[in-house]
Amino acid sequence: MFDMLKYLRPWVFPLVLFVAFDTYVRYVAIYSDALATPAQAVLAWWDLLWLTSDEGLMRVTLFTLLTAAMGLSIGVSLGLLCGLVLGLSPRIARMSFLSIEVLRPIPSVALIPLSMMIFGFGMRMEMSVVAFATFWPVLILTQAAVHQVEPRLLEVSKALGLNAWQRMKWIILPAMVSRLFVALRLAVSVALVVAVTVEIAANPEGMGYAMMIAQQSLDPARMIAWLLWIGVVGFAINAGALRLQKKINQRMGVNEIQAGSTA
Amino acid sequence: MALLTFDHVGIHLGGKEILSPTSFEVQQGEFVCVIGPSGCGKTTLLRAAAGFVKPSGGQVLRQGQVVTQPNREVAFVFQDYTRALLPWRTVEGNVMLALEAANMPIGQRAQRVQEVLSVVHLAEHAQKFPLQLSGGMQQRLQIARCLAQSPQILMMDEPFGALDAMTREGLQDELARLVREQGLTVLFVTHDLEEAIYLGDRIIALRSNPTAQQPSLAGTIDVSIEKPRNHLKVKEHPEFLRLRRELYFYLGHV
Repeated sequence: MFDMLKYLRPWVFPLVLFVAFDTYVRYVAIYSDALATPAQAVLAWWDLLWLTSDEGLMRVTLFTLLTAAMGLSIGVSLGLLCGLVLGLSPRIARMSFLSIEVLRPIPSVALIPLSMMIFGFGMRMEMSVVAFATFWPVLILTQAAVHQVEPRLLEVSKALGLNAWQRMKWIILPAMVSRLFVALRLAVSVALVVAVTVEIAANPEGMGYAMMIAQQSLDPARMIAWLLWIGVVGFAINAGALRLQKKINQRMGVNEIQAGSTA
Repeated sequence: MALLTFDHVGIHLGGKEILSPTSFEVQQGEFVCVIGPSGCGKTTLLRAAAGFVKPSGGQVLRQGQVVTQPNREVAFVFQDYTRALLPWRTVEGNVMLALEAANMPIGQRAQRVQEVLSVVHLAEHAQKFPLQLSGGMQQRLQIARCLAQSPQILMMDEPFGALDAMTREGLQDELARLVREQGLTVLFVTHDLEEAIYLGDRIIALRSNPTAQQPSLAGTIDVSIEKPRNHLKVKEHPEFLRLRRELYFYLGHV
């Protein structure tokens, strides 16, 4: 009995919200065109799920996820590479410090006009903005991770006479793995947020655009359905990344406090 | 020729003289202990011997060659064993690192790892990760990795300082046995007089804040208590009491 309560507890708050929102729409905002009851949203979601056209849930979701994933992999690989170089070479870090600090604060959305001029509408434009947005946190966290490698281990590598490449692959990279996963998790959530933002602002494809279309065609049920769905997708991705991170940390013999996985 | 020679080695760190010019030799097969109060530069001396620190004056020679950087022929056991082990590698993998570094043919590695692990009684823990081991076992693992290097000389920086008394005594006996069986040469830093007398053939006493009248090297004494030793016998030996008294004077405790 208590066990069941434990599993039910996380659902209490959503349920209260569901009922409250439903009551509000049904009895207070009764003449509003802008709102739909959650039940209507769920029904709209169900319809979307079985839609086989280009506006179908699966196809639209897949577009956003695929684009975000490709932008993410570009941003993460470049960020990793540059972060490693900057972490290992204080000289290069000093030389590029100013450029990084000027480019980094640019909001990724501000890049949309430029990337639209270069790539036009479509996947490549969205990808490039996602890559830009995920590049910076990965770069900074990778650079920090290189600096945080246990100095004692670097001495061990010297005592064992490891060359630079051996030190890299046997000591520095494995020692960084858990911190890199923190960066990756951060980048994953940034990627989804930015992808949807680009779709709302400019790119006529994906979940963000589908939500805009629903809004413009005065279909609040469908709009809220997309909104909730984006939340669910984000939750699932983050939960998956968290599980992966826990596994990696266990494997690499690092506890979570050291890895700073609260980030 | 001496295996290790300190030729007027002086060390300044941050403008302060840590070690005034000091000379001594370590012969092949000798167990030399370096003792002194904390902050007297004994760890710095050891790090200079291994090539981690560059002397400000004089030079360290190993087999007549000037030491300028760490070398695989010198194995270094750090005090903080937890940080000196690779937490992502198993016990076996940590020892394997030394063999990989030395580029040993792959076919011979597994057997060598087994050999070294059984010497330090860790063979049945080969598949565990360092964090699953107790402190004493982690330190034994670090010693195993150092043995796998087949070094000319083993340098140990207060290796048992962070362990409880029981574990420490056990490890001292194990180290003495290893040194006897494998004919190791050891340079051993400690602040524990009794540990130094129990393990050493010779003890080098350092004092802190060296001056022109009182150099870092307070004195050198030979330990003539016959080997193999055991804790009870050594601690009741009249020679032990005499040496401990002498060392107390050297270090200015009395």
